Amino acid sequence: MTLTSKQDISQKKEQMHRVLLGKKQILVTEDEPLLVQLERAGIHVEYQCREGYCSSCSIKLLWGNVSYPFEPLAWVQSGYLLACCAIVKSDIEIQFL
Amino acid sequence: MSYSTFNRKKFDSMKEPMFFGENVNVARYDQQKHPIFEKLIEKQLSFFWRPEEVDLSNDRKDFQRLEEHEQHIFLSNLKYQTLLDSVQGRSPNVALLPIVSLPELETWIETWSFSETIHSRSYTHIIRNIVNDPTLIFDDIVTNEEITKRADSVSKYYDNLIEMVNLYNTMGFGTFNVPGKGDVEITMPKLKKALYLTVASVNVLEAVRFYVSFACSFGFAERTLMEGNAKIIKLIARDEALHLTGTQHMMNLMASGKDDPEMAIIAEECKDDVRNIFIEAAEQEKEWATYLFKDGSMIGLNAQILGQYVEYITNVRMQAVGLDTHFETKHNPIPWINAWLVSDNVQVAPQEAEISSYLVGQTDNSLDDSDFDDFDL
Repeated sequence: MTLTSKQDISQKKEQMHRVLLGKKQILVTEDEPLLVQLERAGIHVEYQCREGYCSSCSIKLLWGNVSYPFEPLAWVQSGYLLACCAIVKSDIEIQFL
Repeated sequence: MSYSTFNRKKFDSMKEPMFFGENVNVARYDQQKHPIFEKLIEKQLSFFWRPEEVDLSNDRKDFQRLEEHEQHIFLSNLKYQTLLDSVQGRSPNVALLPIVSLPELETWIETWSFSETIHSRSYTHIIRNIVNDPTLIFDDIVTNEEITKRADSVSKYYDNLIEMVNLYNTMGFGTFNVPGKGDVEITMPKLKKALYLTVASVNVLEAVRFYVSFACSFGFAERTLMEGNAKIIKLIARDEALHLTGTQHMMNLMASGKDDPEMAIIAEECKDDVRNIFIEAAEQEKEWATYLFKDGSMIGLNAQILGQYVEYITNVRMQAVGLDTHFETKHNPIPWINAWLVSDNVQVAPQEAEISSYLVGQTDNSLDDSDFDDFDL
């Protein structure tokens, strides 16, 4: 029992990624989209629909990988991500408009 | 060349471009060249709402208590919104349906335009509730100089495309003399250019102009005034977010050349024109802000702040269609607007409180014996 939960923790740790934003660095998991995790870290992000169709939360992705559990309805320009539904998959660097 | 309501040719609609290919014949949605438009239709249908569901009795009292210059701001903004949706409730149908070539896009245009007619109906609902004589308000939309200036700029690209397509459908290619206008040359590149500029100006209408008006509506609600109105505008904003995504997809698909290689060339040639459409609209919106607040501002919103919001939102929308941003303003000067724009707490009926795209009658037919394992009789 103890062994399993330890494994869980170490697996979760592996899923932590660094998000670089200017001089700030935020740690995020793959459990939730980027937007809520940035908000929790006190970073103001623009939003409207929060479900991938309005593109208000579009942020520049300078490097790194994100994935989308569902393909968003909004057009995502190459080099950008939609924070409300993007799951961070590696360390990334982002920049606001 | 001439339009047919049921094209008799047999062709593969999956190989047609979005516009200026074959006229659509069979309305079929089992396959789509661009699945995004089918998804937009489904989303829009799940958003269906009616203005009468929102109670405006407190708004009447609020309106009477507003100061005169605040009533001017509120009514002028409402007139502008009425103008914009009057245009949008008909123009995508009139301008785009005769030239569309994909069934899913044809139906998206109709679904989109229909939702704009709901918006128009809600302005009547609002106006009827706050003033005794709605005619005074409606009449001013066609005579007020500040409003008619905007009418010109939101309708001119549509009108030009409609005129060119009419000529093309009756006369084909060539140069034709239009009384009062002189010679008009109709070629396929010219038609496509008119189309691209129209889609761009519609994107500006929905993604920039509308948002400026939303800011004013929510400015009142921030002070707990005209909250019924804000609730309606919130529903309208949810629809508009979807519509602007539709026009962004059209523009980006055209520019990518994936849909129609010739359209990519046109889009490249039109880049400066499109930039100018955005910038001119932003300047007009700033002028409009000055007109709105000419007799005084309101707490939380004035011509300067609204002007900064115009610049900010224009930058965001330019970036979304692959253009470089134009204005210096990098931050949203009215961050409180997001809490009003957010769609998932729009409440129409109680059962819809938790999810905005509440679907009625969703049943699960994939039952088998194992689903009844927990049942004991």
